Amino acid sequence: MNTGRIMAIFEKDLKEFTRNMMLFTTILLPIFLAFMYSRMGDGEAALPAMLVYLIVGVAFSAILCSGIMTMMAEENEKNTLRGLIQSPASMMDILIGKSLVVTLMTAASLTAAFLLMNAALEWSVASIGALLLLALFFLNVGIAVGLTVDSVATTSVYLLPIMFIFGFTPMVEIVVPEPDHFVRQITDYLPLYQNIAIHDGETVVPLLILAAWTLASFLYVTWAFRKRMSDEAK
Amino acid sequence: MKSVISVEGLKKQFDNEEALKDISFEVGKGEIFGLLGPSGSGKTTTIKILTGELEPSGGLVEVLGYQHGAFKKSEYVRSLGILSDNSSLYERLTVKDNLALFRKLYNTEQSKVDQVLKDVGLEKHINKRVKDLSKGMKQRILLCKAVLHEPAVLFLDEPTSALDPVTTDSIHDMLLKIKARGTTIMLTTHNMDEATVLCDTVAFLNEGIIIDNGSPDALRQSYKTNDMHITYDDGRTKQISLSPENKVQLEAALFDTNVVNMKSDYPTLGEVFKKVTGKELV
Repeated sequence: MNTGRIMAIFEKDLKEFTRNMMLFTTILLPIFLAFMYSRMGDGEAALPAMLVYLIVGVAFSAILCSGIMTMMAEENEKNTLRGLIQSPASMMDILIGKSLVVTLMTAASLTAAFLLMNAALEWSVASIGALLLLALFFLNVGIAVGLTVDSVATTSVYLLPIMFIFGFTPMVEIVVPEPDHFVRQITDYLPLYQNIAIHDGETVVPLLILAAWTLASFLYVTWAFRKRMSDEAK
Repeated sequence: MKSVISVEGLKKQFDNEEALKDISFEVGKGEIFGLLGPSGSGKTTTIKILTGELEPSGGLVEVLGYQHGAFKKSEYVRSLGILSDNSSLYERLTVKDNLALFRKLYNTEQSKVDQVLKDVGLEKHINKRVKDLSKGMKQRILLCKAVLHEPAVLFLDEPTSALDPVTTDSIHDMLLKIKARGTTIMLTTHNMDEATVLCDTVAFLNEGIIIDNGSPDALRQSYKTNDMHITYDDGRTKQISLSPENKVQLEAALFDTNVVNMKSDYPTLGEVFKKVTGKELV
């Protein structure tokens, strides 16, 4: 790893991100949702944790995960990744540089969204730690898919299920209102619900489940990374 | 002269297909070496092995003293410049942004970027977005990207494929300037004129085997015959050997007003390739 090379890739990808309307407009999505939800009801009441985390889920899936996935896929599709790999930059330099860009964009979007909505949530160490684990989960999934797909069009095949299952998880309560339904039983174990549970006061079990999801995402990204490297060598 | 590139008994197997069967060649410092062959002959595979993109299945490969096991090393990567047939640029970014990325990755001075842009005559287009440039301009920028860190060895895979003659000439001029600085260049091409103009040595690659190699002139000399080819205005052709006993016939042909063309059999590189492989270079 080399800081100078990571920063060179970061600068390049920041320019690419801001000039790619498909990516750049994703940062508006959480802001738009925050604006909408903050005007629900009388507009004075604090937003429930479920809606706040829905916005977090949208930000992480639509910007963090989708952003890095699309950037990697575009590099593959346009053969620019090969140029980077043939340079002194390592794959880690490339991935870290890109991750910094999507993290910055997600943070900017979420900050704006939080300023717009009346979240009134208390941020404990556990909830902040859980938020970081959740971010890592989405980032890893985005990198893993980005490493394995060859075109931007293919990313949508992966992105839609990721967004609906992991990003918009609380929406299941609208589609399946019965709390005892098996779908609800399953979704209780999905990552975003662990963050909500931690906010509701539980700590150990949700943190363990979330850590397991993050670990699984690390294993997925490691597999994708090795597969990519072995494909490159064939 | 010590070889910069040394390939001995190189083999590459892809599943059931043997792309390279047993090829050997050497390239000296500051030489331009051309690997010529039809599509699918193994040219790109050879370059990919030399640049560390592919692992060889057998044989010895050494570039700048590094053996293929060390081709992933950062010092090795830094000493290469690569322009492949599918190299591309970031279309949304400007020429300046594209070159700035690689300048920073190679930790090179800005003056080098300015120099290479001047060499290819594109210094006035530095603030243009790549998507607004012509194909020929993009190819010249790709060449700038490949050489801005002054590599010791430059690998070019079909560098002028599908370019107009003016851009091709401009790229040839730049390659000769790069060679004059002592850079060793290995290129693949279908273009026989390009190989004749640029290369000190060429090798004919066909179905994974090098059939012949040498300087373009030496190859042409070795395949020439003593025949004179005569074409008449009614389409007839005649071949006469350049020997004293045919003097009368040759003199008659010289003064025959029905003869439209007389040429000695001094083959072009393309004709030599056809002679040895029975294939056209397309």
